[in-house]
Amino acid sequence: MAATAVTNTVTNQSKSLWRHAWSTIIGNRLSCIALIIVVFYFTLALLTFMGVIAGDWGKEIGPSYSPPSAEYIFGTDIFGRSVFLKMIKGAETAIAIGLATSAITIVIGTILGMIAGYFGGIIDELIVWFYTTISAIPGIMLLVAIAFIMGKGTSTVFISLGITSWVGLCRILRGEVMRHKDREYSQAASALGAGSFRKLFKHILPNITHVIIINFSLTFEMAIKSEVILSYLGLGVQGRPSWGTMIDDSKLELSRGVWWQLAAATFAMFFIVLAFNVLGDALRDALDPKLKGK
Amino acid sequence: MKMRNILLTVMSTTLLIFASCTKKQDTNERVLNLVSITEIKGYDPIMANDLYSGREISKIYEGLLNYHWLKVPYELQPNLAEAMPEASKDGLTYTFKIRPGIKFQDDIAFPEGKGREVLASDFVYSIKRLADSKNQAEGWWVLDGKLKGLNEWRDKNAKLPAANYDEEVEGVKATDKYTIQFKLKKVFPQFLYGLAMPYTYVVAKEAVDKYGKEFINHPVGTGPYVLPKFDQGKRIIYTKNPTFREKFYPSDSSPELKHLLADAGKRLPLVDKIIVNVMIESQPAWLKLNKGEIDTYSIPKDNFATAVKDNKLSPELINKGLALSITPMLDLTYTAFNYDNKLFQNTKLRKAMYMAFDEAKSNELFYNNTAFPAQSVIPPGIAGNIKGYINPFKGPNLEGAKKMLAEAGYPDGKGLPEITYDIADSTTSRQMAEFFQKQMEQIGIKIKVQASPWPEFLAKQKKRSLQMFGAAWGADYPDAENFLQLLYGPNASPGANSSNYNNPQFNKDFEAAVAMQDSPERTARYEKLNKFLAEDVVVMFNNHRQSYSLTQGWLRNYHYSDLNLDYVQYLNLDTAKKAELLKKF
Repeated sequence: MAATAVTNTVTNQSKSLWRHAWSTIIGNRLSCIALIIVVFYFTLALLTFMGVIAGDWGKEIGPSYSPPSAEYIFGTDIFGRSVFLKMIKGAETAIAIGLATSAITIVIGTILGMIAGYFGGIIDELIVWFYTTISAIPGIMLLVAIAFIMGKGTSTVFISLGITSWVGLCRILRGEVMRHKDREYSQAASALGAGSFRKLFKHILPNITHVIIINFSLTFEMAIKSEVILSYLGLGVQGRPSWGTMIDDSKLELSRGVWWQLAAATFAMFFIVLAFNVLGDALRDALDPKLKGK
Repeated sequence: MKMRNILLTVMSTTLLIFASCTKKQDTNERVLNLVSITEIKGYDPIMANDLYSGREISKIYEGLLNYHWLKVPYELQPNLAEAMPEASKDGLTYTFKIRPGIKFQDDIAFPEGKGREVLASDFVYSIKRLADSKNQAEGWWVLDGKLKGLNEWRDKNAKLPAANYDEEVEGVKATDKYTIQFKLKKVFPQFLYGLAMPYTYVVAKEAVDKYGKEFINHPVGTGPYVLPKFDQGKRIIYTKNPTFREKFYPSDSSPELKHLLADAGKRLPLVDKIIVNVMIESQPAWLKLNKGEIDTYSIPKDNFATAVKDNKLSPELINKGLALSITPMLDLTYTAFNYDNKLFQNTKLRKAMYMAFDEAKSNELFYNNTAFPAQSVIPPGIAGNIKGYINPFKGPNLEGAKKMLAEAGYPDGKGLPEITYDIADSTTSRQMAEFFQKQMEQIGIKIKVQASPWPEFLAKQKKRSLQMFGAAWGADYPDAENFLQLLYGPNASPGANSSNYNNPQFNKDFEAAVAMQDSPERTARYEKLNKFLAEDVVVMFNNHRQSYSLTQGWLRNYHYSDLNLDYVQYLNLDTAKKAELLKKF
C-alpha cells in the first residue's frame, strides 16, 4: 500500500516551473539546437580561456593574406596569423563581454526596478526620472562618450554596455513587483512579520526570476552585437582578437580582395546571435506563466 | 494590385533619384577636382601647422618668397618680393623690396569693397600678428628668438589687454612704402625659408579687425584664388581671383622637369575653378578617381597590389589614361621614446629594441615595399644625409638584440616593466602597433597598445604623458636643421621635440651648425650630428616614404611636391582630352 502511494506521488507530482521549462525546451527541436549551440560556444570560450585551444593564435602560420585552403582554414590575416584561431579566440571575447555586461545590467536593473516597484512614492519617482533621463540619451552616443572617458579596453566595453542597457529590465521588474507586492503570498509574509527586505528577496524575487532570465539571454545577444560595433568604430577591444576588430580590419582589406576575415567573424557571430534569439523566445514561452497553454 | 502599384511608384522614384544623382560631368568647364585627406583647420595663416591646411591657405594667401615650381632640388624664389633680398655682409640684415601694385582681393572689409594695395607695413603687421601671444599662433617657433626686439615686444604686450602694433620693433621695419628690413639677433640662414611658409603670409589688418574671431573662416588674401562662399563642409569651391596680379608660368626648369614646360610664359592661374573634396576615408576617394571624378590621388595601401606591379600601372588604369608618378618625400617616420621616462635613458635598451624590429617586413606590410628604410633622421635629398650609410643597430638582428637586452640589464626581458605604446586611432595604426608588439615580444619585451582619437593623442604628446609612440615629420623647408631640431633640447614638448630628448653636447653642436651659411663645412657638421643621433638610437628611425600618386590623363603640369604648397596655380586641364578619355570610364 505504502509502496503504491509513493509511486503515485512520483507519477502525479506536478512539475515545477523550471522542470516544465526544461522539458519544453528539450521537447522543441529548434530551441534544443539553439541550446546546444550556446553551450558549444560557452565551452569553446572556456577552453580558449584556459589556453587549451587557440592559445597560439598570435603565431605566424603562413604568408600574410593567404586565402582559405586545406592548409589554412579561413585563410590568414595581415601578419600571417590563422583567421580560424582568431575567430575562436574571438568567441572568448564575445562570451566574456556578454556575461559581464548581462551581470552588470541584471544587478543594476533588478535592484533599482524592485526598489522602485516595491516602495513607490518619492523613491519610485526618483528612479523613474533617472531611467527616463538615461534612456533619453541615444544609446550609441552614450556608449561612445563613456568609452572616450574611460579609455579603451575590454573592461570599458562591458562597463559602458552594462550601464547603458539596464533600463528595459528595470522598467519591467518595477511593474512586476507592483503586481506582486499585494498578492496573497506577499500579504501572508507580511502577516507573519516579514520585513521589506525579506519580502522582496525571499518571496517576490523568486516569482519574477523568469523575467530576469529571459532578459539575460537578450542582453547577452545585444552585448555581443554592440561589442562588434564598438570595435568597428575603434573604441573596443585592444590587443586581443575580437570579431569587431576582425571586421574593422576587413574594412580596408576588402579592396585587396581579402574577404575571409569578414566572412569568419560574421559566420561565428551569426550562429551565436541567432541561437540566443531562439533561446530567448523559447525561455519566454516556457517560463512566462501568462503564456502558458497558448 | 494595390501593393504592386505602391511598389512600382517606389521603384520609379528611386530610379529617378539615382538618375539625377549621376549627373554627367560638364567637360568644357575648366575646373580641377582635388582631394584633401583631412579636415581643413581653417584659413588663418598663423595657424597652418599641417600640410593640408597649408595647401588650402596657399591658394588664397601668399608670402614674400616661394619655391620654384620646376626646380629640383627645391629653390627659393621671390613671390610677393620683387627680388631675392639683399643681405648685409654680417648676414644679420635682410632687405626686401616688394612688388608694387599687388592688391588684396575685393572684400567688404575694405572701403567700398575694393581690395587695396599691399604695402610693406602689411608684412610688418603680419609678422607682429604671428608674434602676438594673444593669438597663440602655431607658427611662432619660426621666429622665436630670431628677430631683434620681437621677443621683447611679445613679452611686453602679453601683459597688456591688447597688443600695441604701432610700437616699432627693430627686427622688422618698413623703411618705405615698398621696403621691409629684417634684422636678426644672430646669424640664421634658414630664416629665409620661414618667409616661404604660410605662417608669414601677408594678411590685411582691415580683414582681421572686421572678422575678429571669424577671420579663420574669412580668408582675404592676394593669391590666385578666392573662396566665394565661406563655411563650406565636405566640398570647398574656389574661384579665380579677378584682381590677381600678372604672374606667369616659369620658363626655366631643371632637366628632370623639362617635360612640364608646355605652358611656359602663360598667365597664372591656368584653371578657373577648384573643387576640393574633403575625403578622410581612402576607399570612396579611390572609387571617385576610378570614375574620373577626381584628377589626382595617392594610391591607398590596400589597393596598391591591384593597381601597381613592378612600379608599373595596371593595364586597366593605363587604358583609362591614368599616369603614375613616384616621388621620394622629404619625411621621416619614427618610433619615439619619451626621455622623461628614466627607462629610456638606458641606451642599450633602445638599441636592443631597434635591433629586434624588422623594418623590411613592416615596409612590405604597410608600405608595399615602397618606402626607404631610414638609417637616421635626415632624409635623402637634404644635405646632411649620409649616402650609403647603414645604421649598425638597424634590425632585424634577433641574436644581437637579445644580447644587447641582456647587457642593458634585462636578460630575456626579465625585470623590464610593460611599456605602453600609444597610437592615434585608425585601423592601420592599430595594425602597425600590433606589429610592433609582436616584434618586441620576440625578445621578451611586453608592449601594451593604447589608442586615442587624434586630438587627444596630440594633447597627450604635448603634456609629455606618452611612453612610446609612432610619429612622422614632413619637411617645412629643405634644410637638415628642420629635422635635427626634432631632438634639440629647448624644443621639447609642447615644441616639436616630442621625445623630450635633451643632450647638452648635441644642443651645443646643433646651435653652432645651424648658425653657419650653407657650405661643405656645415654639411660635414650636419652629417656628424646625424651620425651621432643614429648611433645613439635616439629614436627608432623607421622610413622615408615615397609618394605614389596617380593623375588623370587630362591633368597637366602635375608633379608631387612637399614644399610647393601653392602648386594648384600651375596645374592645367586638357578639356578635349578629358571629354575623350571620360568615354572609357
